[in-house]
Amino acid sequence: MRRTFPAVLLTVTLALTAGCGDSGGDADKANAATGPITVWLSNNKEELAWGKAMVEAWNAQHADQKITAQEIPAGETSEEVIGAAITAGNAPCLIFNTAPAAVPQFQKQGGLVALDSFDGAAQYIADRTGDTASQYKSPDGKFYQLPWKSNPVMIFYNKQIFAKAGLDAEKPALSTYDELLAAARKIKSSRAAAAAIYPAPTSEFFQSWFDFYPLFAAATDGKQLVQDGKAQFNSPEGRQVAELWKTLYDEGLAPKEQYNGDAFGDGRSAMAIVGPWAIAVYGSKVKWGAVPVPTPTGRPAGQVKTFSDAKNVAMYSACQNRATAWAVLKFATSKEQDGELLNKTGQMPLRKDLAAAYPDYFSKNPAYQQFADQAGRTVEVPNVPSSVAIWQAFRDAYSESVIFGKKPVPDAFAAAAAKVDQLAAES
Amino acid sequence: MPSTSGPRRPGLLRYAVLLAGALVFLFPFYYMLIGSLQSEPDTSVAGAFPTSSPTLDNYADINSRVALLRSLVNSGIFTGGVILGTVVFGVLAGYALARLHFRGRGTLFALVLLVQVIPFQLLLIPLYVLIVRGYGLADSYLGMILPFAINTVAVFIFRQFFLQLPDDLFSAARMDGAGELRILWSVALPLVRPALLTAVLLTFIGPWNEFLWPFLVTKQADMQPLAVSLANYISNVASRAANPYGAILAGACVLAAPAVALFVAFQRHFVSTDIGSGVKG
Amino acid sequence: MSTAHAGAAATTGPGARTGGTSPTVGGPLRASRSRVAAALGRHPVGMVLAAPYAVYVAVVFAYPFGFAVWMSFHDYFFAAPGAVVERPFVGLANYRAMLADEGVRRAFGNILVFLVINVPLTVALALLLAAALNGVVHARAFLRVAFYVPYVTASVAVVGVWLFLFSSNGMVNTMLGPLAPEPSWLVNEALAMPVIALFVVWKQLGFFILLYLAALQNVPKELYESAAVDGASRWHQFWSVTVPAVRPATALVVILATITGANLFTEPYLLTGGGGPSGASASPVLVMYQRGIQQGQPDVAAAIGVLLVIGVLLISAVNRRLIERD
Repeated sequence: MRRTFPAVLLTVTLALTAGCGDSGGDADKANAATGPITVWLSNNKEELAWGKAMVEAWNAQHADQKITAQEIPAGETSEEVIGAAITAGNAPCLIFNTAPAAVPQFQKQGGLVALDSFDGAAQYIADRTGDTASQYKSPDGKFYQLPWKSNPVMIFYNKQIFAKAGLDAEKPALSTYDELLAAARKIKSSRAAAAAIYPAPTSEFFQSWFDFYPLFAAATDGKQLVQDGKAQFNSPEGRQVAELWKTLYDEGLAPKEQYNGDAFGDGRSAMAIVGPWAIAVYGSKVKWGAVPVPTPTGRPAGQVKTFSDAKNVAMYSACQNRATAWAVLKFATSKEQDGELLNKTGQMPLRKDLAAAYPDYFSKNPAYQQFADQAGRTVEVPNVPSSVAIWQAFRDAYSESVIFGKKPVPDAFAAAAAKVDQLAAES
Repeated sequence: MPSTSGPRRPGLLRYAVLLAGALVFLFPFYYMLIGSLQSEPDTSVAGAFPTSSPTLDNYADINSRVALLRSLVNSGIFTGGVILGTVVFGVLAGYALARLHFRGRGTLFALVLLVQVIPFQLLLIPLYVLIVRGYGLADSYLGMILPFAINTVAVFIFRQFFLQLPDDLFSAARMDGAGELRILWSVALPLVRPALLTAVLLTFIGPWNEFLWPFLVTKQADMQPLAVSLANYISNVASRAANPYGAILAGACVLAAPAVALFVAFQRHFVSTDIGSGVKG
Repeated sequence: MSTAHAGAAATTGPGARTGGTSPTVGGPLRASRSRVAAALGRHPVGMVLAAPYAVYVAVVFAYPFGFAVWMSFHDYFFAAPGAVVERPFVGLANYRAMLADEGVRRAFGNILVFLVINVPLTVALALLLAAALNGVVHARAFLRVAFYVPYVTASVAVVGVWLFLFSSNGMVNTMLGPLAPEPSWLVNEALAMPVIALFVVWKQLGFFILLYLAALQNVPKELYESAAVDGASRWHQFWSVTVPAVRPATALVVILATITGANLFTEPYLLTGGGGPSGASASPVLVMYQRGIQQGQPDVAAAIGVLLVIGVLLISAVNRRLIERD
């Protein structure tokens, strides 16, 4: 009795949960079904405003296929929420905040719908995004995400701090590593700011996207962290980028402690390495300017590549009314809605020839022109299995060697490359 | 009566040490409060002793972005449900474990200990799947409450409490021929009030501050308890406020205030019997 | 906790026997009743009373924990319902991989450091402060509330304040001046975990002070008086009267502090954003969370979890033996 009671209960519970699994559904039937759908939006204030307006516009014309929108936090925790929702089978039809780095994992879980299964989808994506779209294909050649918007990472600088340090505030020399170091040292010696540049020194897997990766993309003219199943960062260019950051940390030009807030926005850092979404945050607090990230020997600004920090839209397999979902997806990425997104958030829709497509906006907001320009030359995170584990392994090695100087960079990178190769080989 | 030793003076040193300790303990809380009343952030050391006059702007900012009242109601329902489950079923279980001999008692007690040990993160996803997929309780108060429904530390406290009640009470009632349920109802329960207070206070804090589980289970913003709404606010919106750090601190104060108030109200009941007598062994 | 259990047997045993069934009840009824008693225990109604709690434990903890243990022996990842996935049995492979992983080993090492600092400090401070608080008459409410407040506030709220205190130009370093450690506290490999240990001591102390306060109420005054008569100083009285008298409370405090310490997650997560310098402040549960939920490897995470549970049970058993030497 003592043993059987719990055992019976266990069996019953297991049976309950097993029996509640979906039958899977016929994919073709789901692809053709129309009806109401649910979408998730990120809770970034401006994106939410855009999302709500988009939903209203659609609902006004499609009373029988209404969208219900909910918001989820945009931080790292959103991937966990989505992963849990996939497992439980209650993910929405579309999530307007799917990180490209999480797509391989969601795909492996069987949580995503291949957009290619819709007529003309591949063509639609190619027409809208152009060549950059190929970076978003999965290893099997299909699109499990629709490239939506990017925030090309550039170097922001605080004009007032630069002026105070005796540097040119309108056209600062920041295009080579030497120039960046010189400017940083000047800022420190003149005490114009507490830090020259202040990327987050913590060990979350995604932090490398905002210190190492943009410079790596620029230095290698477009290589991803992993290509053809092999780690690319253990190369002379990769090590050179790491040595630059190491110098910045060693000389105290970049602090090693996390800052509780936004260091650039609070005026404690002279530079920041971030995309245009931050402009809304800085507002009038900081007089900022922006330049492309530096390269080892300098390259014309119009040729420098950077990290895209893209967020995309994916369709999830729990979706029942997929035809509606696909129609909404096309609607939300139409020229009109992309224009609304640009207007409301200042983030760059992943649309080719962006500046030419919205001349009014860019003439009214010349400060954003350079981001539109940069958006045409971005590098995405590699779409490989175990992508999060790979980034974590890299970050751990980077933190140990570059930030805290416990190990020489070549050793740390070699060990990490071996680990990453192994991770990329398992699928 | 305090157990001091005889007619010596109560010890100025003792008061001094305690006061110093209290100040050290309270300092972060004080800093939180002061920071939330500032209009300009000042993260330097001098910021701990501000000269500018306090302002309620940060609180107003939170109120405009987070539905404070609704979140408080949700927190109240979540916490209240947990307290209810704990008090009703925990008392029964504690009493059974302490005073009744039945098959499976040893196993159950071992389980009580084991449950304390397992980290919640280990159970998180299977539990989520069970509650959302198996029972279909997403976005519901029941789904939020279920994993916390009966607080195990409270069960332990009730058990300790019932253990140290004098046996004569029970043996007398049994000799009178009273059934076990009757004994529970008329002998044990009337005495349980002190333990109830302790258990309520200890049980309250868990769900009140709980962020991760309600965050997973609820997607509709009007179902989310205060801890989740504030975390959302901190992670995203606070950076836009005029004084982002101050806004975060204001949110923290709002979350902490009811818990502190509850403790202040109940703390004088902590002196007597309840937990301590149980741990006398 | 075992003394409490033993105490239960000691106190209820004789009591139950003096109660019991009346000797005048007839033969056959007595026989069937004792058959029932043999099968279900003397008070089968206890099963009914305990049933809701038992069901709750089985559903909320037993099933997911059983599932986690099962996961740790398979090559498992969470998949959408209806997805067809292979989940081969892999024996101890996950455990081997986890033990070979340097980050995981370091996390377990870190938590041992944490426990060694945190648990004795908690016990000592809680007892000392409770003893001190016990004697005061004035400002009792204020003092009690002061020590309890950190326990009540959410970690998320309080972490910002601690970052302020312990950052490289924070209050502590400013006060220490030239004595400030370089690199600063939270980015110092050797100091990061101790700082977290200190933070958790501060945060949890109120709860343990309460446990001790309550236990102290039941120490008979006569013991102190007789010790004073024998000429013992206050400090000596503390050692020879107070400490032994609250031993059961000490056992409870040690066990609870060990369990909460071993399951540390929020503080490393918030204070050092992902594990600190070279993982110097990562905890096993943090690593479990990273591997399991962020990187989609719940099988390895489950192996870590199971090992953690076993480790805590072992440590608790050792602690109990050390403390309850009777």
